[in-house]
Amino acid sequence: MTDLPVLHTLRCLGFTDLDRVADAAGLTTPDTESRLIDLAVDGLVTRTPGAFGGWGLTEAGKAADARLVAAELDAAGTRREVTAAFEAFLVLNPELLDLCTAWHLRPVDGVPETNDHTDTAYDARVLARFVDLDRRAADVCAALTAALPRFGRYRGRLTAALDLARAGKREHLADTTTSYHSVWFQLHEDLLVTLGMPR
Amino acid sequence: MTYVHRLSPALPVDAGVLGGKGSGLVTLMRLGLPVPAGFVVSTAACRDFLRDGRLPGGLAVELAAAVRDLETATGRTFGGADRPLRVSVRSGAAVSMPGMMNTFLDVGGPSAQTAADRLRAAVEAVFASWHTPRATSYREVHDVPHDLGTAVVVQEMVFGDRDEHSGSGVAFSRDPGTGVKAPYGDVLFGHRGDDVVSGRVATRPIEALADREPAVWAALLDGLDRAERHYRDVCHVEFTVESGRLWFLQVRPGGLAGRAAVRVAVDLADEGIIDRATAVRRVSARQIRAARVPRIRTGTPVLARGVGASPGVATGRIAVTADQAARMAAAGPVILVRPHTSPLDMHGLAAAAGIVTTIGGPTSHAAVVARSMGRPAVVGATALTVDPATGRVHTPDGSFAEGTVFTIDGTGGEVVAGPAETTTDDAGPHLSRLLGWATPGG
Repeated sequence: MTDLPVLHTLRCLGFTDLDRVADAAGLTTPDTESRLIDLAVDGLVTRTPGAFGGWGLTEAGKAADARLVAAELDAAGTRREVTAAFEAFLVLNPELLDLCTAWHLRPVDGVPETNDHTDTAYDARVLARFVDLDRRAADVCAALTAALPRFGRYRGRLTAALDLARAGKREHLADTTTSYHSVWFQLHEDLLVTLGMPR
Repeated sequence: MTYVHRLSPALPVDAGVLGGKGSGLVTLMRLGLPVPAGFVVSTAACRDFLRDGRLPGGLAVELAAAVRDLETATGRTFGGADRPLRVSVRSGAAVSMPGMMNTFLDVGGPSAQTAADRLRAAVEAVFASWHTPRATSYREVHDVPHDLGTAVVVQEMVFGDRDEHSGSGVAFSRDPGTGVKAPYGDVLFGHRGDDVVSGRVATRPIEALADREPAVWAALLDGLDRAERHYRDVCHVEFTVESGRLWFLQVRPGGLAGRAAVRVAVDLADEGIIDRATAVRRVSARQIRAARVPRIRTGTPVLARGVGASPGVATGRIAVTADQAARMAAAGPVILVRPHTSPLDMHGLAAAAGIVTTIGGPTSHAAVVARSMGRPAVVGATALTVDPATGRVHTPDGSFAEGTVFTIDGTGGEVVAGPAETTTDDAGPHLSRLLGWATPGG
């Protein structure tokens, strides 16, 4: 039987390295690698060597993932709930992107400048709005998890990124592959794939 | 009337009451420029709404009276059967909050009562959108007071999608990338204004109006010139052409940065529109620093211009899929050109020296990721189309195979074919003169 948890995790991460798949799936690295190799044997994922290489889905893998998550949603019988949660997510999404942009760029005297993070009051304001948005995102995550338990991992990953940022590791807002923005975007991708919607 | 002000040249220009959009429209009317008839619901009504949680008493009566005036002015009936009056209902705060609040186009209805109800509901929805979490976040981050409220501009609809002599566009009175004195902007024939700013439909350069609608082009140039002389600054307008007739929908002065801001200040002084002391005052130290950022040299032929989303200049061979970008990057710098990006493109984004998307705006995934990696990026380069099947990038005038060298400028949003000369000194002669004016005795 196809290993949907690992296949789908990689589908939403896109194209990435082993450690990130393990981290996102909540599995050990050796276990993840062995599962990826099984998926590769079935022709669903492939590993590209080289400096910019990594693990990704084949076209057959994308088709299999789409089929399996659709079947999973049908079995759960919660399409209506997931759709409603997706609509709530779409209300939050532009605000999240605004905040990521405000984190990177800051208009000063009408000139959009790279935020050099020397104005701690400005950074604190942006971070406070991330925290406020995250409170509202928690409701969406809870509704999603009730509808389909595998969505539960996003809440923990979003919280972990925000906690690191609040503890002073501010790159975890929008600048790392495990940042709030990165996890958020995977959640966006997951919702689109789960509901069978094009981007 | 207490809350509702009919748009007219006699109305006092007060952005605190009318909002930026409303006061700009009054200014345009005073300049004798064509503005669709309408009225403004003041920010005071919004503040009352925010305080009480409902539209102020008496507003319904004022709206009804304003609609009657508008019916008289237009010769049409709101909620009528034959060619009825339809209106746009747009937000407009004293401080620009682009895209944060609601706008409703083509509001009307099958009966006078329905149309009036829909208008009232639209005004209320615009007011309510002041307090959406997204708008609240915007004000928090950009230090805008929460108690200003927004005005609502209600105008007779003009339809850019009416016929072949219709369209919508945006224009600067001078090139916002370079400051060169020439109108710059986009026009979209047969479409309404929301399509122009969506970044989803390929627009034409504003000069396309000159051939297709010469009378409109002349009227636009005249309008831009009058607005510039009034504001004594570069101006940006939004307009709609309906059946060969030009209508201005918005005007905003200023907004240029870096070398363009320097050049405009110096040129305006040379043209006698401002004095030298004003020119010096207008250009901040930050603008001067921004003027020295590396840029593609002014005058280089531009293939497409999108929005600069992550600053810097990058040159490389184009790839149209993330897989190709990752493969080609081993052999040298790559410019990844995509319609938009998603996590599936992460390896391509990581491998690319520069990123171009044909749709999407400055807060898109591609833009955020590019900035986080410090890579130059241009987004919304709508003149380009990407064909992953054939591995080609098309422009209205040509086609480029994967592997062709492009240079992109993530400050100004330019995409050019081939390697391009970059410079930190395009503002040089203008900047020297400006600095000379700043020196006592200079």
